[in-house]
Amino acid sequence: MLKWYKEIGKNNDVVISSRVRLARNLKSFPFSAKLNEEQALELVENLKAATPVLESKSEKKFYSCNIDGLTDSEKTAMVERHIISPLLLAREQSTGLILSEDERISIMLNEEDHLRIQSITGGMNIMGAFAEANAADDVASELFDYAYHEKYGYLTSCPTNVGTGLRASYMMFLPALNVTGKIVKLAEELSQYGIALRGTYGEASKSVGNLYQISNQKTLGSTEREIIESLNRIVEQVMKQERRYREYILTHNYDEFEDKVHRSFGVLKYAKQLSSSDAMTLLSQVKLGIDLELLHLEDDCNVHELMMEIQPGNLQCLLDKNMGSAQRDRFRADYIREKLPDMV
Amino acid sequence: MLCDKCKKNQAKVYYTEIINGEKKEQHLCEDCALEYTSFSMGSGMSNQEITLGSLLSSILGNYAAPGSLHGAEQTEKEPVCDHCGMTYSEFLKEGRFGCADCYDSFKKGLEKSLRNIQGSDTHTGKKPKGFESGTEKIVKELSEIDKLSIKLQDAIEKEEFEEAARLRDRIRQLKKEEINNA
Repeated sequence: MLKWYKEIGKNNDVVISSRVRLARNLKSFPFSAKLNEEQALELVENLKAATPVLESKSEKKFYSCNIDGLTDSEKTAMVERHIISPLLLAREQSTGLILSEDERISIMLNEEDHLRIQSITGGMNIMGAFAEANAADDVASELFDYAYHEKYGYLTSCPTNVGTGLRASYMMFLPALNVTGKIVKLAEELSQYGIALRGTYGEASKSVGNLYQISNQKTLGSTEREIIESLNRIVEQVMKQERRYREYILTHNYDEFEDKVHRSFGVLKYAKQLSSSDAMTLLSQVKLGIDLELLHLEDDCNVHELMMEIQPGNLQCLLDKNMGSAQRDRFRADYIREKLPDMV
Repeated sequence: MLCDKCKKNQAKVYYTEIINGEKKEQHLCEDCALEYTSFSMGSGMSNQEITLGSLLSSILGNYAAPGSLHGAEQTEKEPVCDHCGMTYSEFLKEGRFGCADCYDSFKKGLEKSLRNIQGSDTHTGKKPKGFESGTEKIVKELSEIDKLSIKLQDAIEKEEFEEAARLRDRIRQLKKEEINNA
């Protein structure tokens, strides 16, 4: 199976990917705030033992590791690909990871909760992502005794995750809502429905390349299905709005817009140095140009995959050596030039 | 509008300062705001965590359990989790539980806080495989005769006498079998 970011899924013009995360803890270990290093190490080793069982039950290949065994660029690359969170890297105690070969399922060990089971799919398919995470959760729940409360549900380290422990989130591409200045208003409106709109890399991060995360805030009181369905209804609305503003831009500023898209393509094709933020902005224009059929390329191009690959950590892993930022900017420009198909 | 401080960049932050009762208003760009105030628009992870942590504890603190209140009202002892040793004030400060038992140890203040944060205090979603609720456990431990007796009582209350007679006979039969087996 393809890695999730190589997959072109449903409604890909607006919804880049769908992600589900389940927070779980074991009854027999203290939560992260009270866990000592010895226990942390034991916890990670115990949890890693689930890997072969997961493999046998899912017909997927899984591998597990301790985070401190990874190189810095590998760690950064994984954060950039949303496999692990920055918080996992910031933890002082032992942490680990179980990851499926297609990178659709990742289980962070000893992050804020003992287990953070996560599944990502391309496009709008959160039910698919939930099904995968849920299956992994079932396997883990048979192997380990979860901290579960009759009234409060799955017990989590932070009260904002208790209950289902479910965070469902969509990665959205919202250039038109952004350029027309509607994002702040949208974020305010969504928060009234218990939905959060955040930057590309979660809490407190800015949006890069017009990518935003939309996710549920509340985890207690509704079933998993209810949470996902209400998120879906809202995302459908956001999608409609984004498409409407794209239409608006096209009808009112066609020439200007067409010029902008083509200029961006030109820079990507001829630049000798590109910083990652410049590249993201330009690639975002190109993606929009392709989606709106303003730009016709000789071959299909998965712009989002390219956006992932040109992040500093991923680029470094691709080349398999450490680079300074100037060297990286040069390599990034070369890489994009080569990967981006020519215009028809 | 240009920044009042550097007069170069676009002003994005409206900053009001009150010193000795005197109000001073300024329009600042992000850079000057960062330098001039403690304001940060950046993606500083730690910054955000501080905000979130204190936000959470202010919500939790609104419903502090008796005993954790400061001053004259402090009569009862502060709740402490027997299992992991976390105190209620430690929980308020961190916004994180120490272990699974903390949920019951801090139950008193928790339900209102949960309703405030989550809009609910009761889980309705998935259960781990094989999980039995308290009621389910009690039901499971009831003997066949106990279960039938409950049904019999119910049938009498609903005046379903035919069903009641059937249940009575079944109970009698089971009791007889029990004596014979013994």
